[in-house]
This record gives sequence, structure tokens and C-alpha cells, in this order.
Amino acid sequence: MDKALEHALKIGADFAEVKGEDTVTRSVEAVNKEVRIVSETHNVGIGVRVFYGKGIGFSFSNILDKEKVCSAVETALKIARASARKTLMKFKLAEVEVVEEKKSTKVHLHPRDVALEEKKDLCLRQCETAMAGNKQIANVTSAFKEYYGTIYYSNTEGTKVSYEPLLIGLRITCVAKKGKTIVDAMDYHGGSFGLEVFKEVSRTPEKLAENAAKWAIEKLKAKAAPAGRFEALIDPRLAGVLAHESFGHLSEADFVVIGASPLTGKIDQALGTEMVTIVDEGLPSKGGYSIYFDDEGVPCSRVEILKNGVLSYYLHSRETAKALKMKPTGNARSQDYSFEPIVRMRNTYFDAGDWKPEEALSELKQGIYAVDTAGGQVEDTGNFLFKAVRGYWVENGELKYPLRDVALTGNILELLKNVDAVCNDLEIFSNPFGGCGKMEQRVFVGTGGPHLKVKNVLFGGAR
Amino acid sequence: MEKMLEIGAKAVNYAQKLGVDEAEIFLYMENFTSVKFVGGVFASRSGAVKGIRGMLVRIAEPWIKKKGIPMITSGIRAGVGIRAVINKAIGFSSVSSLEEKRVLDAVEEAVKIAKVRPPDPNWCSLPEPEKPTHEGGIFDKKISGLDVEEMLQLCVDCCVAAGDFDKKINQAITAVFATSTYFSIVNTRGIEMSDKGTFFSGFVSTKAKSGTEEASSSDFLTSRTFTEDVRSIAISAAQRTMECFGRKPLSKKHVGTVVFENMSWSQLFSTIFAYGISSFNVQENRSILKGKIGKQVAKEDVSIVDDGTLPEGLGTSKIDDEGVPRQKTLIIDKGVLHGFLYDNYSAKREKQESTGNASRRKMFGAAAYANQPKIQPSNLILQPGNSGLESLISEVKDGVLVKGSLIGAFHSNVVTGDFSVTAENVFKIQNGTIVYPLKPCTIAGNFYAALNSIVNLGNDLKSFQNIMCPSVVVEKVVVST
Repeated sequence: MDKALEHALKIGADFAEVKGEDTVTRSVEAVNKEVRIVSETHNVGIGVRVFYGKGIGFSFSNILDKEKVCSAVETALKIARASARKTLMKFKLAEVEVVEEKKSTKVHLHPRDVALEEKKDLCLRQCETAMAGNKQIANVTSAFKEYYGTIYYSNTEGTKVSYEPLLIGLRITCVAKKGKTIVDAMDYHGGSFGLEVFKEVSRTPEKLAENAAKWAIEKLKAKAAPAGRFEALIDPRLAGVLAHESFGHLSEADFVVIGASPLTGKIDQALGTEMVTIVDEGLPSKGGYSIYFDDEGVPCSRVEILKNGVLSYYLHSRETAKALKMKPTGNARSQDYSFEPIVRMRNTYFDAGDWKPEEALSELKQGIYAVDTAGGQVEDTGNFLFKAVRGYWVENGELKYPLRDVALTGNILELLKNVDAVCNDLEIFSNPFGGCGKMEQRVFVGTGGPHLKVKNVLFGGAR
Repeated sequence: MEKMLEIGAKAVNYAQKLGVDEAEIFLYMENFTSVKFVGGVFASRSGAVKGIRGMLVRIAEPWIKKKGIPMITSGIRAGVGIRAVINKAIGFSSVSSLEEKRVLDAVEEAVKIAKVRPPDPNWCSLPEPEKPTHEGGIFDKKISGLDVEEMLQLCVDCCVAAGDFDKKINQAITAVFATSTYFSIVNTRGIEMSDKGTFFSGFVSTKAKSGTEEASSSDFLTSRTFTEDVRSIAISAAQRTMECFGRKPLSKKHVGTVVFENMSWSQLFSTIFAYGISSFNVQENRSILKGKIGKQVAKEDVSIVDDGTLPEGLGTSKIDDEGVPRQKTLIIDKGVLHGFLYDNYSAKREKQESTGNASRRKMFGAAAYANQPKIQPSNLILQPGNSGLESLISEVKDGVLVKGSLIGAFHSNVVTGDFSVTAENVFKIQNGTIVYPLKPCTIAGNFYAALNSIVNLGNDLKSFQNIMCPSVVVEKVVVST
């Protein structure tokens, strides 16, 4: 990598940076106790970004001999030169301190030291538990996935960093069937952990399987959700998706710079109630996906996007920070060595408040407890539609009966003004199964929050 | 490629040393260049480019300055995919490298995986060597040595040409992709083969605004060789956009004749039909065509072949991704179903011969080495009829013309053939002529029912990647708003 940078300067680049990667992704999937998929992909390569005048050039290679690496540098410069002549205006990078550091996440049972057999057993144990004695469970799928390795970054300013990313996850999906009714439910756990995490009492494969089977069977007798405006209690998983999908994307500065975000020009304005704080950071104190540096070599800082209801900061790359005269936050990320970095989130969550979840529930006179999400839609206006995975009708602080087809709609900026209780049970979730997609790049993220109580939420019901 | 075969042979030997029954190494390398140029005035919420590099274009006049935002990536992707078989259990692993040590590590990993997997009772054996019957697809040296500057100039020219077509056009994006690929397969049954190919595609999308009315459309081409025809795609995209102005709502639900332009029809054809003729899906009871060989499944005018030997075909190669020679396979002849597509696994499962349809490529081979082979068409061709699109339209008394891309085509029900898509470029046909454009409509029907109600086929056969089809006229389709 040093040679690549030297070569870039020698042949005339103004600035060059190199991202190197050596990572492994491994997954195991079992369906009804039968191991269906075991696959492994090793990703090795480098990506080079070169600035020349007004132009930016990017190239990559996963053949790492000196000749191919130098030729990638030359291609990047050739692209930058060609682009410079057709580009309207110069893109500048905000200044940052030079950093030289190596980081890693220390765990007891790192997946690279655990035999494949044991990971297979995690899946089989889940299938076993979910299928035992539950006649209504028609189908069980269990999956384990892990991602780890080393990411390197260097640039011609002298920054030279590396870190060892680590992400594991275990997930179980149960399908329950009764007559013509078919429903499913899921439980999962994951983050930058070692495999010891599945020994915690509430996170064992058996416990996750029991939950998924219980929830699936419960859904068989769920009633259709009523439509209309109700008070809502939102669980930490759904809160996390709200924080990321409907609010977080709006705070990505590349949307702000072009004026496409409704948060444009609203710094220092109150957007939510005083108890709402939304954070995006690389290293949350518990849970999530640990990211030490972004793919421009900038250390990941803790950003309070919304602080006590007031919009305080945007998420930046060096490019967007320069354009808005702010500081880079370490949010420039790329899927892998073969992509240019763009502004992305890391771990985005509602910060903890001081309510106890029991108190928040007991304050709910009549409404819906909405849990987790199975997907939905968001627009860059802040409008959203989320289908909750589960829901319960609540009366006088008590869960009365399960609901199906619970869908929440609204605008996040309105929802933030209606939050009237933030609990103290913050949890941050991350797993290697999904990830966040933007401009054809997928990256791992963490999302989370505590239980939130919100007034006046529009539920779609089974319309 | 000789070096790739050499590494492949070493890896196979190593796998045998580790005690496998069978092993196969797929080695792959591609040289990929993507050039995209964005020109025009930016509406703030344009979904097309949401990046900082979009910000400054709003204040410029790129049609005059011929400047905009270039986005160019070029690089080499290489790697191997390994299948190791022990007691009928298959282990697969891959690595994005051709370095000997890493390849041998991946072999070890595949062996480890085979050992934790259960045996697959349907597994017989890897394919045996067979001599290819043809020369494979075109390799255009111009593509392997293409200059980014030339590609960028072509993109700029296309954006300018689209902008010059009409003043109402305020944004144009042109993208061209050039890829050269090389691959080798070595297995323990004696296959040791290589092939290479070149692929080129061009895409132009345009947006226009007039008063409060907005319209957008796009066109694209795919080819084995470098072609300046992208310029005509730019004009066509602009034309397609301008045709949409003056849209009227559909007065009432239409159930009847719909003319699908080749591009629109190709999306349903590739999504639904390619799924139904995969022998794996037939074996797993996921195809409506199961048990229908020898029976009439379409109108007599309908003939469909899969031809992996056409030199200009995007899906052509000497051998498929397991080393079996590509061939020409008759699927439907004059409405009668003749056969399905097979890879080695599904063929041996029912004691048939593979039709050479194993593929590891997704869109244009991105990281092909990381995928296990699956049944896919090589070049799936719906044979054309005799009339041009205009003459197809001239025979329609009351109907709807659907052009361009269909939103939702890829979410069709591939098992039943039901589709419900949104089309943006739709037109009302009355007494044989197009009378006005319609606001976006929902088009719904069943693909297999449509095969039986095709009343006419155009002569305008066009390639959409590895799918070739003409425009078609179908009865009993539902169009609603």
C-alpha cells in the first residue's frame, strides 16, 4: 500500500488514498434440522482513489502483485485526469489530523478460533428446540453468519490506520400453520461479539428458538389491528429502525448539501421533544457493530444528531464537511475495496431516557404496543410506512391480545414531537444478515433504542 | 488463462491429497470499466444521483459547457470458487484471489464444509470432459483495451445529443460498461477448459419538464462488441421521454388487446419463463410446465429456443460454468413444449444429458466465482414474426401499447406466472393508430395464459442481455389506473 501511494505521487496525483481488505464471510443455514447451506467467501483486494485537479479517479484490483497494484494507481489517475476536463467544479476535502493506529475488538471466543462444527450445532440446537412439542410449527429456518478480518487505510497525507472488524449473528424463523392461516415469527441476536454471547441466559440458541416459536403460535390467534390514531409503545428494535431508516438517512450530509433533505438549514432548531436524543457512532458502549475508522481514515466520532430535541449535527464525509464548513465525523464508508466511500451511518439509535418500561406501559390507557419491523418504505421527505412484526392491543397498561397486520405510517419529524416517554432499557442490534443499502452499496450497521411511548400514531390496520 | 489452468490443476491435486471423492475449481477474472456521466439541471429530489457531486450541477448549464459529473470506476475482479465432494456432501468456498496460497486455503475450507454437510442423495458426479461443438462468443480486442477518455467522451456526447433533442429535456445520464472476462474450469474427472468473452452495454436515461408535467424514460443496448450505437440510444431515450407529454388518464379499465414492445415483453419473458423452464424448478414442483412435454402450451406461432452457440449472443461461450459444452436447445416448437434446461446436477438426477445451462453469473458476472452454478438460459430467444411494430399497432382496433421498462416485473409470481406491473410509457390505440399517451397504468395478467393468447409477433427482434425477443400482441390483458 505504501508503494501504491508513492507511485501515485510520483506520477502526478495531488492526493491519493488506498483501502485494503482481507475479510471472511461464512454462513450456515439449517432448515428443519437439515444443514442446507454452508458457504464461505474470502474477500481480498485494494481500492485506490486519486485526486487530480478537479477530477477524482477510482480503481481497484484483487490481484495484488506490484504490477497490477501500480496499474490500478495509473488507471485511477488516468480516470481523474479524464474526469477533470469534464467536471464542473472542484471537490475539496476537509482537513483532518494525521492518524497512525491499529485497533481490534477483543473477545473470548473469536469466530476464527471456533470450529465450523460448533456453529452448525448452534443452528441445529435452534431447530431442535423450536420443533420440539410444537405441532403448529410447520417450518423452522436457523442461520448463523460471521464476518471478520482486517481493513487497512493509508493516504498521501500520512494517515495510516487499520482495524479488525467483527460481526456475528444467529437468527431463527418459525412458520406456524393452523388451517389456512400461515404466520411467521423471528428472533435473533448479533453484534461485534465473540461466540460466548450465545451462552448468556437470555441469548442462548434455545432461548431465541423458544421466543420465535412462542411468538409464531401466538400470532395464529391474533386479531386484525384496528385502523386509526392511537397512542403507541414502540420496542427497541422498531425504535432502531425508525432512528436509522426514517431519521438517520435525512441527516446524511450528502442529501443535505444538495438540499434534498428536509433537515437542510435546520441546525439548532427544535425538531422533537426535549427527551429525544438520536446518536450515530462507531463504538457504542454496548452492542452494535464496532467501527473504529471510516474509509477515509477518519476516526469514528460520536455524533449527537438530535440532542434533547434540537438538531445539532449532520453525518459527514471529508467532502461534505468541507462543503458545509463542519468537521468530518467518520461517516464515509464503502461496501468493500471495490467501491468509493460515500456518507453512511454506523450505529444509529435513540439514546436512553429515565422511564422504566413498565411505567411507560402502565401509562398507556388505550393503544398499541408495536414490536420490531418486517420492512416498510421511507421517502426522503421523512414519510414512512413500517409493518411491525408483532403487535398487542393495550388497555389500561395491560397487554390484552395479539394483533396482526400492524402498520405505522406518518412523518418522522411529526413523530419526534409526539414522543412523551423515553425508557432506560437501551439496546443496540446489529447482524451480518442484512445491512443498509444506498447507491448500490451495502454496509453493516447497528440500530437501536429503548422503549418509546408516542402519542397520536397513525395505524393502517388491515385496510 | 494458461496460468489459471495451472493454478486450477494444483488446487485439484491438493483437494485429492486431502481425500475428496471429487473436486472442481472455477477460476475467473474480469476487467471491468464503468463510465457514467450526469448532465443537466438537477431537481433537488431527483432519485438518480444523491451524492455531493450532484450539488453543483444545479447552477450550471451543461448543454453549453458540455460538463457535468463524471463517475468512473475501473478494476480487476478475480477469484476462484471450489466445490469439494465427500460422500455425496458438497462443500463450496470462494476467495477473491488467484494467489496459490489463498487458493489452497480455500480448498481446505471447502473440504471442511463438505465434512459438516449431510450427503445429498440426488448427487451423482461432476461432469465428464466433452469437446465443444463451436467457437464460443465474440471477443472484441477493442473492449479489452478501451480507453476511459474515449468512453467518457461518448457519454458526454450522448447527454448533449439527448439535451439537444428538445429544450424540455433537463437531465440526462449516460452510462457505458465494458467488461472482458476470462474463466477456466478444472475438475477431477478430467475437465480442463477455458474461455473468454467481451461484453458492452450502454444506458441513457432522460428527464423532461414542461409546465407542471414531468416525464422520464430510458433506453439501453447490450452487445459483445464496442459500438457507437449508444448515440442512437440517447436519441431514442429522449424521444421516448417527449412522447409522454400530454398524458390523459385511462377513461375506464381496459380488458383486451395490449401491444407489448420488445423491451417490455423481455422483462416478463426473462423473469417468468426462464424460471419455468429450469429443470430444477420442474423437479421441485415449482413449474407450471411440469408434465406438459409434447403438449400445446402456446399459440402455434410461438417458437422458443435457448441457443448458447450464437457468436453475438451475450450468453454464448464454448462451455458453461461447469465445463459442459453450450448447445442449442428447443424449448417450444410451434406452440408444443419440447424440453427444459439442465445443468449437470439436475440432468443426472433424472438420467438426462446436461444442456450446458449451468451459470454462475449474475448481472454481467460480478464476482461470478463466489456463486455456485445454477440453471440459467444461455440466449433465450422468442422467434420473431413478420411485421414491424407499426404494422402490429395498425391491426389493433381498440387497445393499449406498452413501451419501455415495467416496474415490478421482477416481482412477478414466477411459479403461477401472474404479473402485475406499472408501466410509465403507455399509449392508447384506436383504429390502428396511437391517439394519445396515457398516465402510468397497471398491467396485469398471467404469462402462461398470455402465451396462449398471443395474436401477433413483430419482426423487431432485440437483445436484452441474454434474452432476445420481438414485440408481441396479447389478448385478454387487464389495464387499469
